[in-house]
Formats: sequence, structure tokens, C-alpha cells
Amino acid sequence: MRIPILKLNDCLLISIQWELDDQTALEFQEDLLKRIHETNARGVVIDITSIDFIDSFIAKVLGDVINMSRLMGAKVVITGIQPAVAITLIELGIRLDDVMTALDLEKGLEKLQQELGD
Amino acid sequence: MYNKITAHIEDHREELERLWKEQLTSDTDARIIDIMPEHIFESTSSEFFDIILLNLKDKDREYKEKLQSFSDKVVRLGWPVALVVKGLREFVHTVQENLVQYGSIDKEREGDYLELLDKWMTPISNEIIQTYAETWEKTVSLQKMALQELSAPLIPVMEQISVMPLVGTIDTERARLVMENLLDGVVSHRSEVVLIDITGVPVVDTMVAHHIIQAAEAVHLVGAKCMLVGIRPEIAQTIVNLGIDLDKFITTSTMKKGVELALEMTGRKIVELEG
Repeated sequence: MRIPILKLNDCLLISIQWELDDQTALEFQEDLLKRIHETNARGVVIDITSIDFIDSFIAKVLGDVINMSRLMGAKVVITGIQPAVAITLIELGIRLDDVMTALDLEKGLEKLQQELGD
Repeated sequence: MYNKITAHIEDHREELERLWKEQLTSDTDARIIDIMPEHIFESTSSEFFDIILLNLKDKDREYKEKLQSFSDKVVRLGWPVALVVKGLREFVHTVQENLVQYGSIDKEREGDYLELLDKWMTPISNEIIQTYAETWEKTVSLQKMALQELSAPLIPVMEQISVMPLVGTIDTERARLVMENLLDGVVSHRSEVVLIDITGVPVVDTMVAHHIIQAAEAVHLVGAKCMLVGIRPEIAQTIVNLGIDLDKFITTSTMKKGVELALEMTGRKIVELEG
């Protein structure tokens, strides 16, 4: 099952509701980049509140997606990273240093609007 | 042989007890004896004697119960384990000397008797030492639990601002606890800014810094900002001398400045009321 990508003004909203397997993750990467291209979106919010654990591959794909989106001119905010997921990411050495993060979708959108300057 | 020894001990019990106590008090650090009230020392010593006798007389069940309650008692009274072990050793000596003195045993078989006495004493000392060890282990684990409860509280001081004061040294286990509490607290209190206060951390070495940096990065991941406050001059010196890179963090010297900065970051400030 593919992950739905919603468009809101010039932002794209993705809420990941179930644990990703490798295949879905890769499909998601392709879909998102395609949508950014089609819609000329300037911002992307990925909400992963429902994800309780994450493996190194998914983490890598997530990091890649963020970098790729940035290359295409879209700013990415990740929201709702659970404490356990954060600890796993840190232990895996994935720092997401220059990625914007927010506690929840609402704050994420706020932050993105601020960044985009309107 | 058994009967001979038991009979002898029973016959000369009072004398032996006196000799044994003398030996024990003369050799031991006076302070240890001093802290114990005399009658307790007397009664416990007598009980000790009873137990040894029971063991010699081979009344298995009664002896086991008594030994258990005796070792519990000495532990509760806080007798130093060294004194108890010494008491056992002295007992063997006293009895053996006494046996020789009264000519109850032949000179040639002295070694055999000594070995026999020793064999009797070993289970007693084992039991007592084990009770001591168990009590200590229990105390240590209780204290560990108490320490963990005190370890890393996250205090929501204001809306969107939380503070975690750290006091005492930080080891790996504690660092893990700090990180878990920090992240769970940030998410449940919906904090925007978290201040980690290290005023009470005596030493910041590379390991502690590493843990703090990891915690701060994890806080960034869940979507909040982490600030390091309470950096004392000597801590600042160590951090720079060790070449620890804290450039990515906002750091301030005092909690007060930190709170002001955090308010600023969340678009608020403290104003004094007029009039």
C-alpha cells in the first residue's frame, strides 16, 4: 500500500501511519519526489508520530528523502519523532543535524510557514 | 572423638566462655567492643556458644534454625563481620588449648582434633558470612533504586519550557535514564525548549559531554531545542581544554540567563509590573 501524499497550498503533507518496510519506503521516496516536481511544492511536512521503531535502512531512506527534497527546492520538516525512535536514530549515528523538526504536525506547519517567510 | 570434645566443652563451659571472651576482647579494637552495650555482648556471646555446642551435638534442625536467627541477629546488631569470624577462629583455639591443657586428648592426635573442630566451624562461618553478604547486597540494590528515583527529574517550569537539573556524576546507565526521561518529558509536556542544568555535575569529561551531546541531539529530533545551562568557569575550562565541540548548542552560565533566553526563543519576556 502506498503512502498518501496530500497537498496543502504550496506544501505537501505526509503522515506515515504504519511501520514502513523497505519496499514501501523506496516507493515513498519516488512518489514524494515526483509530487514535488509536479506541484512545485516549497515545503514538505513528514509526520511520523505513529512510528514506534525504526531500522537503519528506513532511517537512511528518510535522510536521503530529506536531502533529495532539498535539492529540488523544498524545505522539509519532520514532526512527531517518538522518544524511542530518537534514541535509535542517535545510536545509529543518524543526526539529521540540519533538518527541521517539530513536536507535532501543527507546530511543524507553523515552523515551515515561518521558514518560507509568509 | 566427637563425644570427647562435646563432653569436654560442656564440662568446662564456663571456663571456656570466659577464656574465649577474654581473648576476643583483648585482641579486638577496643572501639568495636565499646560501642556494644555489655549485656548485649554477653548474651550474644552466650548464644554464640550455644549454637556451636548445638552444632557439635549434631541436633541438626534445631541448630539450623538457631544459626539462622543468630546470624540475622548479629547482622541487625551491626557487629562487624571481622569480629564474628574472629570469634569463630578464637573458639577453635581456645577449645583446643583447653583440651591440651586438661590432657583430654593425646599430643599426637592434636592435629586430628584441630581438623575436626575446623570442620565444624566452617559451615557456621559460611552461613554467617552469607547472611552478611545478602544483607549488604540488599542494601546496595535498595540504595541504587533510591538513587534512580532521584536521578533525572524533568520539571515543566513554564508553558513550553522544561528544566532538567542534573546533580552528581553521570555514568552510562544514568545517561540513558536522563535521555529517556528527557525525551518522554519533552513529548508529554509539549516543551519547545529544554534546559539541562549541570551546576551540580562535579566533573564534565569527554564521556559526560558525549552523553549530553547525544541527549541534546535526540531532543532536536523530537522537535524541541536543548540548552545547556549552569556552566561553571572550571567546567568551561575543561570543555575547551578537552576540545569538546559544543558549538551547536546554546549554552549559558546560569539558569537565570537560560530561562530568559528560553522565553525570548518562545516569544515572551518577563516584565516588571508598574507601580
